[in-house]
Amino acid sequence: MNSLQFYFLLFALPILVNISPLHAATKYKAQYNDEKIKLTLLSRSPEQIAAFYEGRGFSKKMINKLKQQCFITVGLHNKSSQILWLDLSNWYFTNHNGEIRRLNRKYWKSVWKTMNIPLAHQSTFRWTLLPEVLDFRTNEFEDGNIILPASNQPFTLRAQFATKADKSGKAINIQLNNIQCVHE
Amino acid sequence: MKNLILLVLILNTLPFISSANENLPEPPSGIIKLSPYPAPAIELLDIDGQEFNLSETKKHWVFVHFWASWCGPCRKEMPAIQKMWNKLGKEGLKIALVNTAEDEDTVFNFLAIHAPDIRALMDKDGQITEKWKPRGLPATYLVDPNGQVRYQALGGRAWETKTYLDFLRHLLKQK
Repeated sequence: MNSLQFYFLLFALPILVNISPLHAATKYKAQYNDEKIKLTLLSRSPEQIAAFYEGRGFSKKMINKLKQQCFITVGLHNKSSQILWLDLSNWYFTNHNGEIRRLNRKYWKSVWKTMNIPLAHQSTFRWTLLPEVLDFRTNEFEDGNIILPASNQPFTLRAQFATKADKSGKAINIQLNNIQCVHE
Repeated sequence: MKNLILLVLILNTLPFISSANENLPEPPSGIIKLSPYPAPAIELLDIDGQEFNLSETKKHWVFVHFWASWCGPCRKEMPAIQKMWNKLGKEGLKIALVNTAEDEDTVFNFLAIHAPDIRALMDKDGQITEKWKPRGLPATYLVDPNGQVRYQALGGRAWETKTYLDFLRHLLKQK
């Protein structure tokens, strides 16, 4: 190896590492973390979703429906000394084309009813979702999925959290950019 | 006159009810003290087909726990519940370990490893769990001997540790 080849490798190696599959798998994690709140969004692949729900005995038609969506596992930790309100109606997802409407519990209830899905599987499915509204206590951590229509475009989340039990505290606003779904 | 006597009796009783509330211990970290409310009904079969009715456990504190095998924090917490139960089951604590919407095979295999001495109640369609409206899974509530929900745990807790055992023992002394 001559010195030219050596320097080429020296500079090229970090670039090669950056496009490795491992890095690709982690680049859809978005996180906000300060002294009051830690919010993590992790996009799930259709294979991960299928494997999880197959393990719970879900039917193929249910899994096929779920695999068509964009699943994001959200982790929320209240690190502050006061109540922090999660309210998904105060979460706005937008991309280049405008607002992306989240597929909420009401939507899924209607879908599963139409598909005659057993109550047990509907119940399990609901427990894997992030609560719509929850008063996070000090040091409480919860996680769960949010589901968006599948899209190739990166999107932005703007989330607002009210604070204090009566929501009278100063609201916390968080913006996470360049979030992406994971595709097959 | 009868009404007056009744009123006096009620008024005399109120301070005792109030002081009973105040005497309940402050919980350790991760447990919330609630404004008391009646525990939603739990009438379920356990994994062996035996009936369980929460209303028949009155006069005892009841540890009501909702879980599912697919939930990571539930898997982590269950051995702690087993260890706690080994101690406090003999001291008068009752337990309702409610599995949310899984089948017998899954529950049997899970508990054989993580909590072999506790009978699971099978909430097969998940509707009992829904009525309790847990914040998430796992979820634990402590129900007093009058059937009132008094405390709620946030997520999984180290129930086998001295802090939580002392707290639960303190409750068991409150009738």
